[in-house]
Formats: sequence, structure tokens, C-alpha cells
Amino acid sequence: MSDMIVLEQLTKNYPGQARPAVDALDLAISEGEIVVLVGPSGCGKTTTLKMINRLIEPSSGVIRLQGEDVTRADPDDLRLRMGYVIQQVGLFPHHTIGGNIAAVPRLLGWSRQRIADRLDELLHLVGMDPAIYRDRYPKELSGGQRQRIGVARALAADPPVMLMDEPFGALDPISRDRLQNEFLRLQGQIGKTIVFVTHDIDEAIKMGDRIAILREGSTVAQYDTPETILAAPADEFVSQFIGSGASLKGLGLARVGEVSLADWPTSLRSDGRAAARRALDSSDHGWVLLLDEQRRPVRWVEARGLQGEGSLDGVGLEVRATVEPTATLVGALESMLGSRVGVVVIVDGSGAFLGTVDMRVIMSAVEAMRASAHQRVLDDRRRMRTDQEPAASEIAAK
Amino acid sequence: MSFFEYTLENYDRLLELSLEHLAVVLVALLIGGVIGIGLGITVYRRPRLRNAALNICGVILTVPSLAMYALLLALLGTIGTVPVIVALVLYSLLPIVRNTVTGLNGVDAAIVESAQGMGMRQWRRLVNVELPLAWPVVLVGIRVSAVLLVGVAALGTIIGGPGLGELIFAGLRVITSPNAVNLALLGTVGVVAVGMLLDGAFLLLSRLTTSKGVR
Repeated sequence: MSDMIVLEQLTKNYPGQARPAVDALDLAISEGEIVVLVGPSGCGKTTTLKMINRLIEPSSGVIRLQGEDVTRADPDDLRLRMGYVIQQVGLFPHHTIGGNIAAVPRLLGWSRQRIADRLDELLHLVGMDPAIYRDRYPKELSGGQRQRIGVARALAADPPVMLMDEPFGALDPISRDRLQNEFLRLQGQIGKTIVFVTHDIDEAIKMGDRIAILREGSTVAQYDTPETILAAPADEFVSQFIGSGASLKGLGLARVGEVSLADWPTSLRSDGRAAARRALDSSDHGWVLLLDEQRRPVRWVEARGLQGEGSLDGVGLEVRATVEPTATLVGALESMLGSRVGVVVIVDGSGAFLGTVDMRVIMSAVEAMRASAHQRVLDDRRRMRTDQEPAASEIAAK
Repeated sequence: MSFFEYTLENYDRLLELSLEHLAVVLVALLIGGVIGIGLGITVYRRPRLRNAALNICGVILTVPSLAMYALLLALLGTIGTVPVIVALVLYSLLPIVRNTVTGLNGVDAAIVESAQGMGMRQWRRLVNVELPLAWPVVLVGIRVSAVLLVGVAALGTIIGGPGLGELIFAGLRVITSPNAVNLALLGTVGVVAVGMLLDGAFLLLSRLTTSKGVR
């Protein structure tokens, strides 16, 4: 993967301020990844973002886009190559939705037909019906719809890079969650290089392929994947910024399908009580899980319920919560806590039994995440050492 | 003779002078609008220049109109329509410049930032985004100027200017004659009517030229 954006020693001094707002920042952003700049307010993350499209001119340092030094390029030409989305959206209130999205294509002089086609494509992409919304004005839309249009407008001319400054920050929690999910799904299709600024570590964990945690002066405290940052914070500042519940946040990133499931005694309901008793006796669990003909879990039964003879219909407890492998471990944990048996049943797309998740599975997942994160940190350090060695020996030779 | 009968008798003259009056005001507004909006655009992002421009325009407006006509007569060395229009242009500036500046500064900063961020050049940003959004406020400035100018133009007759002032000054000259009041009243009614007409016209223009999205 090649670097799309490279910042070298990027610095911003404001006159009359002792410390630079951004102090000699080095950062490389690979093609097709979402990098989240996150940090406490006043750390310089927005200043950093606005230097990338030169809304704020850097005092010194170099900005490279696709390998080309654009630090002194024409800023308006540069901005045509980068979509820009801000918290307040900033739609043109006197233009229709169509007019707003067409703004950049018009600057580029596209033909009317090409603009019209692109408009419909983009509205579909952000889940809004062109026939309904094309000729409406921004004031007729909800906050969430406006930001969808803001994203569509930024994507209009298909720029390789998107800069997003707290794009979902002004939305209510439900709309924010929905737009985050939609945006991740969209990014799966379009694969843009995205620099995303937020002050919300949870949003950073959710959205970022990599997260740069910034402290004052836009100094990078840690730049890594969310998994690694959660499991192996680089220092006290990072762990404080992540806050409590780092393990829980890590579980929100892992999917049920990625961990090895625990086995559980099962028996087909149609096989009768004897078979169920045998399954229960051969394990150390107190409950047996009854499956129907399609191996779909139906009821939990204790040894007590299996005494005597007769059909197994209506015996024991109904299986209420089942979870599919695509769910997060947090989702599984939540269902588990709500279950009388203390385990959650995992089923495939057709509802057939795959295994269970219990407390031991969760614990070993947390352990595994920590171990792999530590390993990655160690690997990175080793790689950095070997990168530096030739340089060091060259200096020694001179 | 009652005022009503007098009006009917002098209807043609009233109409002719009203149209003259309207024309001179509209010409002055057009010139003042171009200069005032241009000046507003030049100064709205430069606080010091902005204050200077507004102060100068404010001082102009405090010059009594009789004194203004006398000064222009001396400066331009001519009587008639030209010095009247120059005076009217000068008087029109303050409302137009002030509202242009207020309107442009009132445009939501996020909208301007997003326009800049997408690569819209400064001039295009001004023409496509900032001016259309400031337009309703600018137009109010022009409307205020219009009404102001209709009154000031009535005094233009004193230096041989056109318009309804002629009726009022004719009344003054024959103050002892029985028709003096009718003459002055006819001129005054004409001035008020032209003022109301312009006010209404600009209100309508504002409706017609403001985007549905910001109304």
C-alpha cells in the first residue's frame, strides 16, 4: 500500500503564541485507509486537517499528495482533489440539493448530462431517492440528511482524498450511529483515503483503520490500529485518553466469528429423553440444548426436566437470544448477561447451531487481543531499529 | 377650486413631473448601487477600511441637501440634472454600503468555508455564494436609499433639476395666490406617491430575486 498523504515536519505558528499550534508533525497516510486524528480540544487536530487542504497555510514543513509536493501548489486546484466535510455541513441554502452536489463538477466544467447522471448515482449511494430530494432545499432536510448530502457533495468529482472534520459531531446519538455505519459501508465500496478528525475516542475506534492520538502541539502520542492502541497504549497519556473500559471497547471491535466457540451438549428434540440424558451425562454442564430437525436451538433443559418418559415438547426454558457470527463480542456479552444459562448460542445464517460463547471465550479473546497487540508493538520497534541501523552505521563511517 | 378639481385639471403635468422624478431617482440609484455594492465588496473583509468607508458615507448623509446642491453647483459649475444626480448618488451610498457590508459579513462562516474547501475561487465564491445570500439585505439598503432619494430629489429644482419639486417651489413663489396651497400639495402628494411606488416595487423585486431556499 503506497502513501497517499505524507506530512513532513509540518508546523503552524500563530503570531503572539509562544508554542506552535502544530509542532513538526510527521504523519503518513496510506491509500484507501481511514486515519482518525483524535485528541483533547486544542491539541491542533483541526489545524492539522486544515493544513492538508491549505485552508490554513503551514508555517513550515512539507505536504505531499500522491508523492507530489503540494505545499506551494495553487490551493484551489489542490482542494478540487480533496473532498471536504465539516460538522456544520455548510450546504448552500440558496441552491437545491442537486445544485449543492453539482457544485464541484460545475467548477470542473462537466457536461450537463454527466452532472445529472453523477447526481442520481450519488443520491442513491447515500440512500436518498433522487426523484424526491433532487429539487429540495437544504432547509427542508433533517440534520442527518443534510450531512448525507454534505458527504455526497464532497464525493461528487470522485476525489481520491476526503477530509472530514467531526462530520457527525452535531447529530443526535441515534443518527450519528446510523451515519457512521452507512459511511463505513460506503467506504467499503469507494475505498477513499480519509483523514477524519474527532474528539470522541469511541468514534475514532469505530471509524479508524488507524488512529493517531494527538497531544498538545499535534504531537503524535501513538499511531496504530484501534486494536493495538486499546490493548497496548503507548503511555499514560494514551491510556488516560482511552479512558476506562478499554477491554470492553476492544470487544466491540472483535467479531464472534473470529474467536473459537465453546462446545455445548446438544441433542435433537426428536431423539427423545434418553438421548438428551446421555448428552448431558457425558459433559460437565448442567443444561442440555435441544435442537430441532434443522439443528436450530429450541430449548434449554436441566437434568430434572429429563426424568421420566414422553415427548420433550415444552420442557425446560425457551432459547430466547441467539447471535450470528457477524455480531461483535460486546453484543454476544450483552446477550449472555441476559441469559438464564449464562451462555449465548451462536447460530449461522439459517439459524443452525454453531457453538456457544461463555465467559471463558470472552476472557480468552481479551487475552488474545492483548497478546497480539503486544506482539505488534514489539515487531514495530524491531523494524524501526533495523531501519535505523544502516543510517547509524553510515554516520559512524563518516 | 378644490384640491381634487385642481388635480384633475393638472393631471397631465403631474404625471409628466412624476415620471421625471422617478427617472432621476432610478438613474441615481443605479449608479449609487453599483458604486455602493462595489465599495461594500471592497471593504467588508477589511475592518479598518470598512469603518473609514462607513464613516465617510455617514458624514455625506449629514450634509443638508440645500448646502449639498449649493456646493455641487459651485464645484461642477453647472445647473440642471447632472448636479442633482451627483447629489443623489452621494446620499444613496450609506444605506447601500452599510447593508452590503452587513449582508456579506452575515453569511454563515461554515458556508463560506465549505465553498473555499471545495476549491471555489474567491471571485466565484463571492458571485455564486456570498452575494446571493447577502442579496436580501443589500436590497433593503437600496430600498431605504430609494425612499430617501425621492425626498431629496424634490429639492433639486432649486438648481434647475427635474421633477416634482417644481410644483412645490411654484407654490412657494405664489404663496399669496389662492392656488399656492394646491400647488404645493400636488407636488407633495406626487412625491409621496412616487416614494410608495418605489418602496413597493423593491419589496416585490426582493421576493422575485431571492432563492426559495432562503426565503
